Amino acid sequence: MTEINIEKLTQDIIAAATGAAKGHAADLKQYVEAHARIIADGTKQIVSDRIQNKITDDDLRFAFDQIKESEATSLLAIEVTLKAAAQDAINAAISVVEAAINKAVGIALL
Amino acid sequence: MIYSRLLTASVGAALITSCAAAFVAPYDETTDRLLTDLSVKTETAIARADAGKLSEDDRAKFYDEALGTVRTMNRRSSLFAKNEDEIKALTQLEQRFVDLREHGSSPRSSLATGLRATILAIEQIQVAKKRSSVFSAGPKKRAPPNKYDRD
Repeated sequence: MTEINIEKLTQDIIAAATGAAKGHAADLKQYVEAHARIIADGTKQIVSDRIQNKITDDDLRFAFDQIKESEATSLLAIEVTLKAAAQDAINAAISVVEAAINKAVGIALL
Repeated sequence: MIYSRLLTASVGAALITSCAAAFVAPYDETTDRLLTDLSVKTETAIARADAGKLSEDDRAKFYDEALGTVRTMNRRSSLFAKNEDEIKALTQLEQRFVDLREHGSSPRSSLATGLRATILAIEQIQVAKKRSSVFSAGPKKRAPPNKYDRD
């Protein structure tokens, strides 16, 4: 049995947790950019179609309402990404603690 | 003394093992594939509508097939625990298709922006789950939980 080095274990936990969450952060940035592009392109298309009388005022209002409704799903996507990031960060931290305990007791107990 | 420490470590081990975090359902390849197929069919219908080549029959067929796909995905999603957000998102996607169909016009890109944004949001949910599954695919990977698992 060996003693646990608190300072090193803390640093290892932080490194594992932040490393696990980093990929989700990059994905979230990509998603927010892609989402903004869809809304911007769609807004341009709505105005263009209305100017060219391809859609009516009623269609325009409908299209705008649909965009507003879709934001609720966007919020769910962000929530799931944050939950997945938290899940991976916590499990990475737990893995580090498991490894530290196994090393300290000298057998693969966990 | 050593047995006492081993016992303490065992109790700690049991606690840690039972505390593995699970906030989201596992990645499901079938759901992801169905969503990709739906996205392709939707973009194809939008392109044809923009070009004035989507007949009323084609439009009706597109909405019927899209709704069938979304309902299939929703039912499949309900088999997994911790999947409430995805189920909610799929219910909202179904509503986008229903709204477009009931509005009665062709699914032009100007009218389908909300639909496109909704599909993208559900694609992001799959991306997040897939990244989590890659992360957890180590030697100690546990079987994915389903609704019959105890919390």
